[in-house]
Amino acid sequence: MGAALAQVMPLVAERRDGPERRDELVGLLADGAVRSGRDISPGSGVLSDADLFPVLPALRELLPLRALQRGSVVAAGDWSMLCTALAAGPVASGAWCAAAGIAEFGVVAAADAGLDPARLLLVPELGPNWPQVVASLLDGCDLVLLRPPDRPSAQVRRRLEAAVRRYGAVLLVAGAWEGAQVRLRVTSQAWVGIGMGHGRLRGRRVRVVADGRGEWSRARARWLWLPGPDGTVAQADDPVTSDRLKVRYPEIGFSDIGFSGIGLSEIGLSEVSLSEVSLSEVSLSEVSLSEVSVGVG
Amino acid sequence: MSRQHRVLVVRCPGWPPPEQAPSRGRPVGRPVGQPVEAGLEPRAFEQVVTAVTEFCPRIEVLRPGICAFGARGPARYFGGETALASKVTETVERLGFECAVGIADGMFAALLASRDALTAGSVVVVPPPVQTFLAPRSVTVLGEPELAELLIRLGIRTLGEFAAIPASEAESRFGPEGLFAHRLASGGDPRPLAAGPQAVDMSVELEFDPPAESSEQVIFAAKSLAGQMHAKLAGSGLACVRVQVQLTCDDGQEITRLWRHDGFLTDLAVADRVRWQLDGWRGDHGDAGVAENTVAGGIALLRLVPDQLVQHRGRQLGLWGDEVISDRVARAAVRVQAMLGHDAVRHPVLTGGRGPAEQALLVPFGEERTPARPPDRPWPGQIPAPAPTTVYPTPLAAMVTDSGGTQVTVTGRGEVSADPAWLSVADGPSQAITAWTGPWPITERWWDPVSSCRKARFQLVTLDGSAWLAVVKDRRWLIEASYD
Repeated sequence: MGAALAQVMPLVAERRDGPERRDELVGLLADGAVRSGRDISPGSGVLSDADLFPVLPALRELLPLRALQRGSVVAAGDWSMLCTALAAGPVASGAWCAAAGIAEFGVVAAADAGLDPARLLLVPELGPNWPQVVASLLDGCDLVLLRPPDRPSAQVRRRLEAAVRRYGAVLLVAGAWEGAQVRLRVTSQAWVGIGMGHGRLRGRRVRVVADGRGEWSRARARWLWLPGPDGTVAQADDPVTSDRLKVRYPEIGFSDIGFSGIGLSEIGLSEVSLSEVSLSEVSLSEVSLSEVSVGVG
Repeated sequence: MSRQHRVLVVRCPGWPPPEQAPSRGRPVGRPVGQPVEAGLEPRAFEQVVTAVTEFCPRIEVLRPGICAFGARGPARYFGGETALASKVTETVERLGFECAVGIADGMFAALLASRDALTAGSVVVVPPPVQTFLAPRSVTVLGEPELAELLIRLGIRTLGEFAAIPASEAESRFGPEGLFAHRLASGGDPRPLAAGPQAVDMSVELEFDPPAESSEQVIFAAKSLAGQMHAKLAGSGLACVRVQVQLTCDDGQEITRLWRHDGFLTDLAVADRVRWQLDGWRGDHGDAGVAENTVAGGIALLRLVPDQLVQHRGRQLGLWGDEVISDRVARAAVRVQAMLGHDAVRHPVLTGGRGPAEQALLVPFGEERTPARPPDRPWPGQIPAPAPTTVYPTPLAAMVTDSGGTQVTVTGRGEVSADPAWLSVADGPSQAITAWTGPWPITERWWDPVSSCRKARFQLVTLDGSAWLAVVKDRRWLIEASYD
């Protein structure tokens, strides 16, 4: 049965985007070997010419170059934890982030996701001349997370895009932004751990779809824990895996198992009777699947 | 008594003692930390210090005219204490200054020895035990005239007699000064030798010609001046405990104040202190005719003097960017503050608390980020992780009803009247509740009738997959946060 599992697991191939050096650089950034904050003095493992910000590992596959590129605009859909998660990686690597126009920014959730409040500025109310405020923030902070108070005109967009390029910052928009290099959005979400009158919110599985301009125009999707039970962001199992298994065992609700958030790879199939596992049991109680044991029918 | 160190004191009689004797016990600091004295004399002593540095790089300057260093190592190198002392005397006298050297266990004895050396030949080396050297001396050498007078009237004339009194008695009868003096008399050290490294003037100053009329001009200059000072300190691997800001007005009036620094202030933070100092001074004078942001008479000189230099240990500030606000970020923040007001830019810090809004303190940028309550303590009743992504500054009014359309309530026993079925946020359309949990009753600060409150929290998930943190308080439903 272990072999059957191996067949359906998707191969995770290393992406090879762009020149080799850049790929290496991203790897180094991701490993924390080098840092790319703007105000970090040169020397001591800092590459001053790095124009990339590392992101959390779970988000890498969703971005061209597997990182946030300086001078780019990224639209992340409506304000959600996806925005915080995108900002967390750069901040962890030394960048400063300003959250503009988000009065209800949840600092604790951001900190749990890895966004250190020590390098976070909040500008809850932007006032009528908000493009000017955002331009000032772009000058000082490497990353500006913006929820525009109103729909920006083409002129305002061009002006801010120019500022983003000039200062080598990243503008992360909580909302729509025409002409963004990358667009991410949450297309489905489901909370686990909570039932009708019992349990509590433990984690949320979301499907994030990313597309953008140029070679990134083909949409790609990933399942993420946003957040996971400990508040961090992690990759979640792809229900596709479950669906393929379902073809083999149509009577079994595999997608339900995926939904429960317990990784299929963690299940020794020979030990588990999946026909016995229902959605409510797995997602609402904290039974570890390995404890459920009946032979496969 | 702690183990004594051999201390060598170099005393040059050419420099008068400062008008004010430094208070006991407190590190005297190097002369750069003291108000600048008129004349060149304090500076001239730097020649002596520089020369003595050849024997030991770590010199403590007690005041112009007296410096000291640990003698153990150099004595071994220069062939004994007497040889070392003679060599030091020789070197200083070659500069054209009169000089006496005393070596003894501890600073106090070494100072006395150097004083002896002024009259009894140029070198006095006191062999251990130091008590033998101290015992026959008069209690007047303790430098406490009142205490000495009292002791003499009591019949205690020498340090030996004074040292014979138990320390606890000395304290209870003569107070902390008495205890301190007793420690000296017993051969204890007043404090460990605080050797400053190379005596380099770390102060920086800027003259305004013509005098600066606007405080903004002074503050702007203060920032770059602070940058110079920090660079100077960093170049020697030093940090300062305090920084003295001296502002000299055109009319000669001087505003001097010491600010805590601890090596953590940024350039901008130092400039802030200058601003506060200027503001405070203007406030004191309260000139109605003086317009905001102007300085009456103008500021002619700004001087920053790092005080109490210490080795810069621990974090390399600025390298990893932690906690240290870089100039660029600060500039942007201040610019936005100028546009929108001081409170418009917040620099959050995590703090202890139960509710989502209580766990983060949104400190206006530039103010001290101190958690009001420790975040790392257990907070019973704290909402469980994961934390909500969206925390409404003012909770949104909401309505939660059961399947029959009746509002759901929570009894005094913490029971829910019916299963919540519908949620309407801020008079919006009703959404079906697909999962919920609660109530989690909370009675906060029951001991305080003013801030005490009873409420119960719920987590609700609606059909669209959104999750909410709701609270019932006084039969009203509010949405405190959402988990999107």
